[in-house]
Amino acid sequence: MRRPTARRVGAVTVALGVAFAGAVAALGPIDAGASSHREAPLIAADPAVDNTDVYAFVSPDRPGYVTFIANFIPFEEPNGGPNFYPFATDATYNIKVDSDGDAKPDAVFRWTFHNIDKRGGNTFLYNNGPVTSLDDPNLLFRQTYTLESSFGGRPFHTRIANAPVAPSRVGKASMPNYQQLRDQAVTTLPGGWKTFAGQADDPFFLDLRVFDLLYGGDLSETGQDTLAGYNVNTIALQVPFQDVAMNGDPVRNPNIGVWSTAERPRVRISGQSTGGGGWVQVSRLGNPLVNEVVVPANLKDAFNSLPPDRDASIAPVVARVKDPEVPKLIQAIYGLPAPATPRNDLVEIFLTGITTKAGGPIKADLNSQLNNADVISSSFRPSEMLRLNLSIKPTATPNRLGVLGGDLQGFPNGRRLTDDVVDIELQALEGAAQTGKLVSALAKGDGVDANDNAFSSTFPYLALPNVGAVNKGGGTGAGAQTNAIGAAHVQPQTQAPSSSAAPAERAPSTAPAAVSRPSTHNVGLTIAGATGGAGVAALVLLGGAWFMRRRRPVPVTPPGPVPGPDMQDH
Amino acid sequence: MVRRRIVIVGLGALLLTGAGSVVGLRHGSDHVAAAPAAATPVDRAADSIARAQQRLRDVPGDYDSWAALGGAYLERARVTADPTYYPKAEGALRRSLIIHRDGNATALIGLGALANARHDFATARDLARSALRIDSYSADAYGVLADAQTQLGNAAAATPAVQHMLDLRPGLAAYARASYDLELHGRLTDAESLMRRALDAAVDPADIAFCRYQLGELDWQTGRLEAASAEYAAGRAADPSYLPLLEGQAKVAAALGRTGEALAGYADLTARYPAPMYLLEYADLLRAAGQPARADDQLALADAALRLFAANGGTDDLGTAQLALAQNRPADAVRAARHEWSRRHFVDVADVLGWALHEAGSDAQALPDARRASALGARNAGYLFHLGMIELSLGKKADARRDLSAALALNPHFSPRYAPVAQAALDRLGAP
Repeated sequence: MRRPTARRVGAVTVALGVAFAGAVAALGPIDAGASSHREAPLIAADPAVDNTDVYAFVSPDRPGYVTFIANFIPFEEPNGGPNFYPFATDATYNIKVDSDGDAKPDAVFRWTFHNIDKRGGNTFLYNNGPVTSLDDPNLLFRQTYTLESSFGGRPFHTRIANAPVAPSRVGKASMPNYQQLRDQAVTTLPGGWKTFAGQADDPFFLDLRVFDLLYGGDLSETGQDTLAGYNVNTIALQVPFQDVAMNGDPVRNPNIGVWSTAERPRVRISGQSTGGGGWVQVSRLGNPLVNEVVVPANLKDAFNSLPPDRDASIAPVVARVKDPEVPKLIQAIYGLPAPATPRNDLVEIFLTGITTKAGGPIKADLNSQLNNADVISSSFRPSEMLRLNLSIKPTATPNRLGVLGGDLQGFPNGRRLTDDVVDIELQALEGAAQTGKLVSALAKGDGVDANDNAFSSTFPYLALPNVGAVNKGGGTGAGAQTNAIGAAHVQPQTQAPSSSAAPAERAPSTAPAAVSRPSTHNVGLTIAGATGGAGVAALVLLGGAWFMRRRRPVPVTPPGPVPGPDMQDH
Repeated sequence: MVRRRIVIVGLGALLLTGAGSVVGLRHGSDHVAAAPAAATPVDRAADSIARAQQRLRDVPGDYDSWAALGGAYLERARVTADPTYYPKAEGALRRSLIIHRDGNATALIGLGALANARHDFATARDLARSALRIDSYSADAYGVLADAQTQLGNAAAATPAVQHMLDLRPGLAAYARASYDLELHGRLTDAESLMRRALDAAVDPADIAFCRYQLGELDWQTGRLEAASAEYAAGRAADPSYLPLLEGQAKVAAALGRTGEALAGYADLTARYPAPMYLLEYADLLRAAGQPARADDQLALADAALRLFAANGGTDDLGTAQLALAQNRPADAVRAARHEWSRRHFVDVADVLGWALHEAGSDAQALPDARRASALGARNAGYLFHLGMIELSLGKKADARRDLSAALALNPHFSPRYAPVAQAALDRLGAP
């Protein structure tokens, strides 16, 4: 996410209509004649390459397959009519996987988009009648994509060309059955791959005001999903484990690191030609909210420009991970002591993966490539990416707090659509992984625990795009559901994560109801099959971590059904 | 002093009327966008102002949002030609710096862009460098630096700044600057290809209109009137309120002999946006059409606009020199151009200084300046015309023949007033 404005604290809250100061009040210190020199746009909108979120999880309905989702173009307002949001055609969209831990991609999946524009220059119409299929002649502006892959640094091979993109959902009249369009945009490829590109409901749920504390605000006014009602553009891919595991062996080497990028061709003007070759990374994203809570403001541009294998060489980024700002602000506001630094627990979460092999304080082996049996430890480089242990089976009852909630399949072990990453990261920053103390004042987190729309049970899992204005209760027709993905669809052979060693038990609450206080107890979590072939390796996670359980706010929208494939879009 | 203030206030009212009609036109375009099932991309630049304002109502301490708001105001000022956005921009940017003084690269970048808009290029350069000391990966800071170095005439520093921008964040802003840099070096085909890339990356209607206008200008500069006309029209289809497109269409109409249409176009444009540059072109066209009194009226308006700019702290001696030339005050033109040259060695300044010296009868002094205008390799019919006429005055007939021919070969319509002068001079020179 390069233009951090997008999802960064700054740019948020509900969009107002543009109130143009039509009448001019007073003359400023510059007159209209100032532009006798060329003035080009400086801060131009470039949302198409703005990377908002990355997800990576073991497919709950398809054992042996991993799903990657990368979202772009924040704050797509449905508005039911004039707006549509194409992918950039002058950029590539990439999902990259590092399986051997050297911080360089071992698998790259590259999407390139193309326009099919039948509007003919004298109309702006997106469609001129109901659109009932992706090749409906009424759809005047369409996009297709080429998906290529490269493994081990070898040349790219085209996996599919001219694959259809699910269009922007411009309204119920124009697209009476959007589910059908979504289904047609899921393409199955040889090798069992599934790919999707198109518009979807923004699955991220949070109240961005939680970050107001960075600017002198407090946490008292949260609980509203800032992204409710907005759409994003998604690329999604499902591939067999062996296609991304080191040496093609997910049993010995189940740990991978994932990030996405948007890139544009390199251009040179200094020489004689304007070509150049190669690509320039314009945005990058692995862990959620890394631009907000980890990377210092003045390093965001650097961070978004650099590949992960340079991360460890950028001392200020590493320093900020070890000495984060958020706990200090919380200390200033709430009087809660910030955990002692250096925060090597956060280094594990963001830079190495959770492992006992890098000298970090968390006594568990969860998801670092260092835990792959075939890894060459000397080639390992700490880097910021989303790390996932593929051997942890999906659970039928995902906990939104992921690993901190005793559910090892969730963030920071990969990221599922339902993981409440804001609450998890806040607690992690306060040292939940290191000190065992949960912060009661933060127990509510951002007060948003689930997405406003229910996720689907099958690939690409995302809710359909919202229709209707954001501020007028648009929605997709799919209600909120905390543990939506595949709750009823998890394959029978999947095991629940073995968090049964110490069942949660509730301590008496002494806090007022409004601010429920997490109860705490020791829990020994075991990770099944986390390391190569050794069967069940029982590892104590978070050495006496505190399991937190708390009151959940009543969802604004009652839980709705999981939309099935035949569910109508109205 | 009192008298001058009254003049300024009067012009202010005129400018305000212009700005008001800009907004009126925008409402017109909104109407188009609201037609059923019409699909135009969202204008995120306009949206970002409202977003930042709302954000700052909630969290007034958010210095990043103050800086972002300042930057958004600057973009609006550029796109709408509404000068009232500049003080708003400055207020927001200074507020950001007050809240967060140290390490606030975004605010420094915004203030640098503001300094560029005010023609204070040296300050802009320094602010960009300060921002880069904080954030050496900021493409935006390199953009401010590139603009400043370009206008200061430091081509050897401008090109690397543009290249840094391309290396950090290829996209509309970098491509547009790269295109201009190539154009200044005479690489017009490469300039066009980069501007096409910019167009591909453009999202907001005003950005699309900007790219279309520049593509039209590249066509215009090489005399491709039909292609230019098509680009201007495509720009207006994307954003009918983008005013430079009116200038493009008016001058193409003039070149094609549709003088009435051209005059109407300039009248419309200068009523909306009385910029000296446009008023001077309008005056040239009126003079060529045999309406010297109305031409003089436009020059009087340009004079008032420049005075207002200066009274508000701006510095544009280049514009002052061009106006003095148009009003046949060559000594004033030389003085103003020399002032500007003492501040910046940009090719436009060299060109105007040379022409002013020629008009003042100092052709021997004029020649080096006129040559300097083309030293980077720029292929500009106006520069070549000035150079050729100076050479003619100095009796360098072969050189004059070559350069006047080159000017007309590049763009036979480069000026309604001076293209015929160039042709007549060539005719007098006869064959070599």
